[in-house]
Amino acid sequence: MTDTAVPKRRKTKPESPAVAPESAPDKPTYPSPRQKDAPRTMRELRLSRGARKRPAKADENPLREGLRLERVPDPSTLVLFGATGDLAHRKVVPALYQLWRTNLLPHEFVLLAAGRREYDDDALRAEFRASLEKYSRVLPLDEAAWRSFASRINYFRLDFSDASGYDRLAKRLAEIDKQQNSRGNHLYYLATQPSQFAEIVTQLGRVGLDHERHEGGWQRIVIEKPFGHDLDSAIRLNREVGKVFRERQVYRIDHYLGKETVRNLLVFRFGNGIFEPIWNRRHIDHVQITVAESLGVENRGAFYEETGASRDFLQNHLLQLMSLVAMEPPATFDADALRDEKVKVIRAIGEMTPDEIRGDVVRGQYGPGWVGAAQVPGYRSEPDVDPASETETYIAARLEVDDWRWSGVPFYLRTGKRLPKRATEIAIQFKEVPHRLFRDSAVEPDPNLLAIRIQPDEGIMLRFGAKVPGLGIDVRSVNMDFTYGSAFSVDSPDAYETLILDALLGDPSLFTRADEVEGAWGIVTPMIETWANDPPPDFPNYEAGTWGPEEADKLLARDGRRWRRI
Amino acid sequence: MTMMTGGPITFAPARPGEPILRWKSRARSIEGIEQELARIWAQPDLNRDADGDEIVDRHVAARTSVMNLVVIARRPEVGEGCAATIQLLTGRHPSRTTILLPADPDGPSWLDAQIQAHCVLPREDAAATCAETIYVTAGGEGGRHLDAIVAPLLIHDLPVTVWWPDEPAFGTPPANDLFEMADRLIVDGSHWRGTGLDQLRRLAALQERLPLAISDFALVRQSRWREAIASIFDIPDFLPYLSHLRRIAVTYAVREDGGADTTNIVKPVYHAGWLASRLGMRVTKPLSPVAGPIRRGPTRAGGAGPLATAGSGLGATLRAERHEVAVVVRPVLSEMPPGTTLRIELLADWRGSELRADITAEQEAVHARIWQDGVHALERGFNAPRRKDVDLLAEAIEGGGRDPVAVGAIRLAADLAGGALR
Repeated sequence: MTDTAVPKRRKTKPESPAVAPESAPDKPTYPSPRQKDAPRTMRELRLSRGARKRPAKADENPLREGLRLERVPDPSTLVLFGATGDLAHRKVVPALYQLWRTNLLPHEFVLLAAGRREYDDDALRAEFRASLEKYSRVLPLDEAAWRSFASRINYFRLDFSDASGYDRLAKRLAEIDKQQNSRGNHLYYLATQPSQFAEIVTQLGRVGLDHERHEGGWQRIVIEKPFGHDLDSAIRLNREVGKVFRERQVYRIDHYLGKETVRNLLVFRFGNGIFEPIWNRRHIDHVQITVAESLGVENRGAFYEETGASRDFLQNHLLQLMSLVAMEPPATFDADALRDEKVKVIRAIGEMTPDEIRGDVVRGQYGPGWVGAAQVPGYRSEPDVDPASETETYIAARLEVDDWRWSGVPFYLRTGKRLPKRATEIAIQFKEVPHRLFRDSAVEPDPNLLAIRIQPDEGIMLRFGAKVPGLGIDVRSVNMDFTYGSAFSVDSPDAYETLILDALLGDPSLFTRADEVEGAWGIVTPMIETWANDPPPDFPNYEAGTWGPEEADKLLARDGRRWRRI
Repeated sequence: MTMMTGGPITFAPARPGEPILRWKSRARSIEGIEQELARIWAQPDLNRDADGDEIVDRHVAARTSVMNLVVIARRPEVGEGCAATIQLLTGRHPSRTTILLPADPDGPSWLDAQIQAHCVLPREDAAATCAETIYVTAGGEGGRHLDAIVAPLLIHDLPVTVWWPDEPAFGTPPANDLFEMADRLIVDGSHWRGTGLDQLRRLAALQERLPLAISDFALVRQSRWREAIASIFDIPDFLPYLSHLRRIAVTYAVREDGGADTTNIVKPVYHAGWLASRLGMRVTKPLSPVAGPIRRGPTRAGGAGPLATAGSGLGATLRAERHEVAVVVRPVLSEMPPGTTLRIELLADWRGSELRADITAEQEAVHARIWQDGVHALERGFNAPRRKDVDLLAEAIEGGGRDPVAVGAIRLAADLAGGALR
């Protein structure tokens, strides 16, 4: 290609300095991920230079403006590792089918489903079909769409630890590229056990499936959570992945970021002029973020024993939501600008000392109780759970973002299993009015509250005071409620549809970057380590069907606050 | 005089997503219509009858209008077709819809209106979303004052979209008055009489005169072609050729019994207009007849068609930054509906290297084939079925203000046709 064919470079933002919050100089900081990512070898230096040659931006093609899609995905093959597993059947394949049905996948798309089991193409297609009947969000299935989608599915038997299998995989992909005209573009989707991530990545590198040759198309890899189980393992995994793939080729999924209402949070904050001026410590008293589940661990007892609420939800979903609430407006809406701002928030939270953890973090484990109309067992009686388990099924934390905007505003985060209902919500509690003009009102008006409901019943509610009709001046709180279901009664895409399409388009905005993942582990790992040294509380310490342990209520009560009733 | 009849409709329980008629009544004056609209919402629950007995299910109905939609239909069947399309959007874009059928302009003024409310359940456990449809037939002198009928029926502060599905009376005082109160105008240029180019020029003039957002289905419908063309130039190797186009050729279908001069060519001209506007070109020579070879056209089955007898089409010249670009709009006999775009060919010449792109479409897909210096360089298909009116309407009304791409395409297409006609 000649020089004029090289896309114009965008002005790059200066690197953000490592955050050293002035208001908390005594807090130790974990090593800056930014520094760790700096090139250390000649190869890394070469790769990092290569990374600056970015592919053509959509706006550089003047014909793109105003079209439905910013870009149609390139012809490509998606290699689904763990294709016979639960995640593939429940989420990935239904998302791909839906994308195909709505013509959002390239005409030349191929799904190469890799798994250990003995299957042939037809058997796998039949299984996928059965799963779609259960999990597709649009039923009944569109027969014509299914037939054409099924014809794109091929099975590839692969023992993930067998090196020779990857040589066969490389050959198979080369054949597909030739037959289907998919031009060497490959998206590797790791829907396997996390313990297999490093091996698969290493083998892909060994057989050269990471190479992005000029004429050979792009190579991207999607990695499911959990990405590591603590800071050290996350750094190790990032290093293993980084030996093979460049950061811009890596798409770490946190499916919460693909949810429509989470994406709407960005629109709500930065697409409306009236909220941003009051989105700071001068007007906001505190923030509560709740991710509540009414389910227990179901059949994932063994998995949950190793993760617990801190690894399963706090390290990813809760901290991602918090960073979206607290981040500064990015200069542009491109992936790195967005993720730079999120990383700044994570860094501004910083690492907590053991004493701070003991005071500001509460863990819990559910005992038997009633959820809805059903009696449910305690966590220790769940299948594959140690009867003396010390794993937390609930966590509540008081975090602070030490920066100019949020100094002194606590963020209360909580998540747990077997709570009374399934609900994810962000509540922005505003400060009281400075002067109580209506002190004679029969009811003291509540301060304003903005609640952003992520699930279910997605929407936004604003609570404000209104005069009660009558001769006196009585003030009562009323809710102004926006529900997505009423305003836009259309199906929102599933998070996996959004994220897979973004990965095919090469847009990593909604995926977590290495430094974000490590930063989040930098917050959670000290908690896990502190607990490892401290005797657990009297587990179980909350009854299934309640809102968690009493200590969680005390966490807010000592600040003169309480959890919002959901 | 005001006369009212009708009220709530009893029927089987609604299924989510399915619009159901919940109210139907009549009126013979604007005041009567207003009273009927008030009656609908005076019902505490549209799902209960006048005696308060629940007639359908437990969901409370709510009016949730997001805009005013005014349809001007010259024929009742056109109005009914539009209403059916709009009802499919009740859940997604609930609107107060006024369908206006101007009747015989002679004689005394009269008005006959049917007021309906349709409701849709977004899902089983949600409240129903309801929206009103008002069919107004107006005759005599009163029927000429479209704006006077429409204005009192608009919901305050909501945007006004005028959908004029057949031949808009551009330039007439009633139409002008109506357009002045509108925020968006929806038309379908592919339904206009003759070549449609004169109407296109009037549309462009309207666009220059009023700050109106315009959606022409004839342009929106062809987005699948534009997606395919744009995708070619997403490839960095091909992008430089885009600013060195030499020729844009658009082939369209004509029937044996209809000559090129009577076939609507708004759609093929839009392709050239869109490309030229996106690439910053201007028209130096508008479309005029050219001589050329006789060609065969495709059949529905994809085979060769009969020999073309429809003439050799129109040619125009565009000026890019440093060079001229030829535009050819060429008829080919085909079994496809007249005016359908059959093929778009682009020829570019950059630093001694030639790029040729050939784009064709089928019912469900668009294909692009590229040759670089005579060597086949790329072949891509795009799953892109032809779009229905309901999709086009949804896209049109989802657009916010003026779409600069549409503005540019309409302006350039009109320039190709000879310039805005005031």
